[in-house]
This record gives sequence, C-alpha cells and structure tokens, in this order.
Amino acid sequence: MRVVVAAPQVPFVRGGAELMAEELVAALVRRGHEAELVTVPFKWYPGTRVLDQAFLWRLVDLTESDGTPIDRVIATKFPAYCVRHPNKVAWVLHQFRQAYDYDRTELGQFSESPEDRATRRAVERLDGVALREARRVFATSRNVADRLQRFNGIEASVLPHPPQSLDYRTAEPEGYILSVNRLDRAKRIDLLVEAAKREPTLRVVVTGEGPDRERLEGLAHGLDGRIEFTGRVDDARLADLYARSLGVFYAPVDEDFGMVPYEAFLSGKPVVTTSDAGGPLEVVHDRETGIVAAPDAAEVARACAYLVQHPDEARTWGAAGKAVAERVTWDACVDALLA
Amino acid sequence: MKVAYYSPLPPSRSGIADYSTLLLPALRERVDVIVAEPGRRAPSADVALYHIGNDPDAHGWIVDALRRRPGVVVLHEYVLHHLVAGITIGRGHGRAYLDAMERDLGVAGRLLGLGVLDNLLPLLWETQPERFPLSGVVLDHARGLVVHSHYVAAKAREAGYGGRITRIPHPAWQMDDVAPAADVGGDPLIGCFGFLNMNKRIPEVLEAFAAFRRDRPGARLLLVGAAGERFDVGRRLERLGLTEGVDRLDYVPEERMWALMAACDVLVNLRHPTMGETSGSVIRALTLGKPLIVSDLGWFAELPDDAVLKVPVDEHEVPTLLAALHVAARHGPVLGRAARDYVRREHALPTAADAYVAALEQAAGGDAVADLVLHRIAGAAAEVGMADVTQLARAIRESGLL
Repeated sequence: MRVVVAAPQVPFVRGGAELMAEELVAALVRRGHEAELVTVPFKWYPGTRVLDQAFLWRLVDLTESDGTPIDRVIATKFPAYCVRHPNKVAWVLHQFRQAYDYDRTELGQFSESPEDRATRRAVERLDGVALREARRVFATSRNVADRLQRFNGIEASVLPHPPQSLDYRTAEPEGYILSVNRLDRAKRIDLLVEAAKREPTLRVVVTGEGPDRERLEGLAHGLDGRIEFTGRVDDARLADLYARSLGVFYAPVDEDFGMVPYEAFLSGKPVVTTSDAGGPLEVVHDRETGIVAAPDAAEVARACAYLVQHPDEARTWGAAGKAVAERVTWDACVDALLA
Repeated sequence: MKVAYYSPLPPSRSGIADYSTLLLPALRERVDVIVAEPGRRAPSADVALYHIGNDPDAHGWIVDALRRRPGVVVLHEYVLHHLVAGITIGRGHGRAYLDAMERDLGVAGRLLGLGVLDNLLPLLWETQPERFPLSGVVLDHARGLVVHSHYVAAKAREAGYGGRITRIPHPAWQMDDVAPAADVGGDPLIGCFGFLNMNKRIPEVLEAFAAFRRDRPGARLLLVGAAGERFDVGRRLERLGLTEGVDRLDYVPEERMWALMAACDVLVNLRHPTMGETSGSVIRALTLGKPLIVSDLGWFAELPDDAVLKVPVDEHEVPTLLAALHVAARHGPVLGRAARDYVRREHALPTAADAYVAALEQAAGGDAVADLVLHRIAGAAAEVGMADVTQLARAIRESGLL
C-alpha cells in the first residue's frame, strides 16, 4: 500500500509529535508498505492566521503522486487532518487546544473580541468537517478521545503508540529523579524544582530545551548542584539517563498523551505524575506503576522522597510499568490504521 | 461578548415568553446579556438576538429593532403573515403590506394584497396564511438564523435565505418531580393543552374522544386553554353528547399547567396547517414522560417514532386518532420512557445555550474573520497573477472554514 503520513511542522521545534510521525513511517516501511512523511509548516498566530494556515492543507492534493494513486493518508495533528483524501484516517495526537480546553485559560490565545470568538468557532467547525470526512478517527489517548467527544461530538477509538526507539535498558538506580521534557511552562517542571528545594535528599536531572529554561535555572539557584540541566541530549545519553534513574517525573497540564511514561516504563522505572496530568494517568496508576500526587510542590517532594526511601517498591512499580508499555506495539498500530 | 436580547417576556402570555424565561438564565451563564425593552433605547452590544413569532402585539417592536440593526433571528414560526399584516396594515401602512406580498410572491402577490386592502378578498392571514408566509420581511435582515426544526430550515432555504442557519432544538424544562393535580381524573384522563381552535384539530379530537369513550366509559378529556374566536366548544360538546366527559379550563398559570399535565394519562397535540411552529406543550409532555399523540407534519413529524404516536392529516384522521388513543392508553409507560430519554438526549438546556453562543459568536465576528482570511488568500493568488479566486472561495466554504 502507498501511504502518506501527514503531519504539520513547526520549524526548529522537535518533540514527541514529530518523532511519532517519523516512527510511524518507519513502522509502515518495515511492514512492506511504501510510506512517506508529508509536512507543511504551521504558524498559528496572530489572530486569524490559524485559519489560512489550516486551509493550506485543504489545497494539498494527495490523491496521487506522479500518476500513481496514494492509497491512504494518515493524519496526526491539527491542521494536517484537514487534508482531503478519500481514504483519510485521522490518528489524533492534538487538536488545536487553544480553541478548546485551553480557551479562556492562560494557555489560550483567543480574546473576548467578536473576531477572536468567531475564529475559535471557525476552528471548531473546521475540525468537525475535516474529522467527519475521515474513514476512521483514532485518538492516541482516552483524554484526546474524550475531548473530541465533548467538544466536537466525534467518536474516536483509542490507539496509543509506542515511544521512540531507544536502546532501553534497566541499570542500578543512582538516586536521581529524571525529567524528560520540553522546557516550557505547560510542562510544569517548576513543580519538580520547587520539590527539590523542599526535600534536601532529592537529586534531579532535567533534560530538554525550551523557552522556560532561564526561569527554571533561576529557580534552581542555590541548591548546591542538586539539579542538573543537561540541555538536549542524544539518544544514547537519554537511554542511559533513563536506565540509571530512580524514577521519572512527568506532570504537564492535562497532557494529551505523553510518550515519557512509556519510555520510563521500558527502562523499568516508575513515574511520578500529578492528578491533573491527563493522558499519563491512563498508564501511571498510583502505587502500581508510579505515584500520582496532587499538583503542588510539597506533594511532589513527598512522592519523590518516597521513591528514594523505598527503592524496592520503585523497582516493582517500574517492572509493572514495563509490562504495560510492552503491550503497545507498532505492529498493532499499523494493523488498526490500515484496516 | 455582549448580546442585546429581544423577546417578549412574562407577564406576556406567549410560548416565546416562556421560552425566553427558560433560556435566559443559561445564556447569561455564558455571555453578557442585556434584555431590550419596547420603547427604550436599543442596548449597546456586539450582536443582537431577535425572537420572532407571529403575534404583531408581542413582536412588532422586535421587527422594528431588527430593521434598524440586523442580527441573529430566532424564527419560532415560519409563517409570519399575521405579524406582517399587523405591522403594516395595522399601522396604516397598506403599501408596506403590498411590498411584503410582492417580496415573497412577485406581482401576483401585490395584486392579491390589493384585493385584501380593497376588501375584495378575505383576510389572507386568517384564511390561508400558510400559503403566504411573508417571512422574507425578517429573513432580509437576519445575519444568522436560529430555527428549531429541519422543516423551518428547509423552508428558509427554499425562500432563498443564504446565511448561516443553526438548528437548536427547543430546550426542555428540568421538571423531574411534578405532583399530579388531585382535582382532575379519568380512566384514562386524556389531556389537550393550548389555544382551542380549528388549527389544533379540536373538532377531530372531540369526535375521536366521543368514540373512545364508548369503549372506555370512564375516560375523560381535559381541555386547557382559551377558545378561539368563532369557535364554540360548548355547542360542539353538546352535539357529540360529551357534556359529561369533558372538563374545560381557560388559561392556567405555569405551575398549575404542569400539575394538570402530570395528572393526564395521555396527551394529544394535533394541528393542521402548521405554521412551522414548535410546541412548548409537546416539550413539556415529553419532559414528563407522557404518551403523546401529534399530527404527522412539520416539526411534529421530526419527533422520534418510538417516543410519540403520529396521526397523518388525511381522511382517516379521526379513526387513526381513535386507534392511537387506545394504543397510548395501553402502552403508556413504554412510550413515556422513550419520550423522556429522547428529550433528555436532544433537548438539553445547556446544549441549546451552547449552540446559541456559537451562532451569536459567528454572527458577531464571522464576517470580519472571513474577510481577513479571504483577503490574504486572494492577495496571495493575485500576486501570482490569479485574479479569479472563485475556486478558492468555494473550497473555503466547503471546508466549513468560513
């Protein structure tokens, strides 16, 4: 089968969504299909720009390539799923959340002006049209599926995807809590930094880059080097950091999916998350595969300290998480998407 | 967003006043609503919402405001001939009536209008309004349309309305526990609520009930509502020998109406012709989970078959209604459960209020957004020599983007 994976691209930004699209293409090729990633740059501001950027996808013709039909298009994110194709499958990682659950919060972008309100409505309508055209709609988590149902009345099947391919392994823990995430406010790494301030036994390694780095480093000032900011690390180093960690912290606000818990689990490590983290709560179960804490620094400090003081339980929970993560395979995803 | 809200409100005795009483609190939770009042200055707002019905006394001032400032129109009825006659001929502006007739029906309409003005023809709004709806008078000023039924949406499109139409089902009242009135009863008790006239098929209801009572002598019929002019209910009851089996009440307050409805075993709500209206009484009956019999036309025909019994308006109307009364009396609980499930599913007040906000937001800012996006896309096309962007515009519309 000739399959196009359609995904938007934000130049110079690379995260879980980009990795997922690339891994999907690789998985399709491994199964003997011809597969190609098609991207269009996406800039969603200011004001109504989000609409013409989205509309670009409506004009992309993916029905055939160089005279040969394209059999299926798998679109992963807004606005890529606006593309028209008779055999389109939407595998939704994200809608444009500023138009939905982020609206009227500090993460939103639309004001109360009539134009902004109408723009938000236009995004909602566009989603309704584009997703109802698809022959199947999948969501990468129950959280995303619930949002599609709540805001758009669209039924989606939940289909999680495996995390990026790394040389996952488990090594003897060296006592630090690892954070793997883009450094921006919505990822709430400051909760972990504040927790380290309160709990003097805690050591933390923070990987990743992002606009919040300077603020976070400022917050960590005066902790005698108990917090290390590594910046972006390569795959080998990342796998090594996972392997030697005691546990992994991951607590964005109402995250859609989040690959980090799966990566932690494949490394045999438990995950500390918060009760409002969204998607991660589908696999991080309190005292089974990690700890679910209230979203405040004192509770996060207590959860991390518990792991430090109870390494055997941390190991058991990590192993339980590994069993969960190993059940999610690319083969199963490809079967569902091409059915 | 600020919304100027135009509607009759209590103490006005109209279904639309009841409707607004139900909707307003839910709408106020979502947007800033300023209620307009007749004779006062129009409120300053981002968008205006006009509730339009067929009564010139209740809605004439609202049409006047709509003409001064276009906005979102809630078309509670499609046939507005009586309203238009009231705000034209009724105000001494016969020429405006002729214009309205011509707007919808061309030169023939104008000539018919002249016939009415010169007393050569009967008053069309009394004799056959459904043939001459005259809704164009308000459609011309609607920047968005809210309707309650597919029926009215289709009629508006047929009349050439090209703007956005949002169908918002009539919201239901939240009345889970209503104590039935203890002073009425029957075995079974059949209820018929609303204005009593030919249009509500009261003669047919009485005839079918007379036959029903021959099979079920304990049955009683409760008629609640004022009788129309030239409609003598008493004489009809005498003729059918029904003086003993029928109870009549004029207008009753809201609370009493709920209690009376709750006491009924079966409710009947027929009509022909339809003016494209919905019925608050029908929504109340469904809310209470009562077996309900309606006419198979207009909005009523869109109700689900498992929740209501539908009687076609044809030569078999009376025997079909009689059979429906027997079925409803026998299978009341099954029909009632389906009715209640349906109304909870499709007529939830929060869903209706959300849909209103969507329609209002679109009307307030939609044109500006469309202009901005189209301007940029057209500009990009023009820069490379494409002056004709019709195809682009079509694709945009098709995508639901604008």
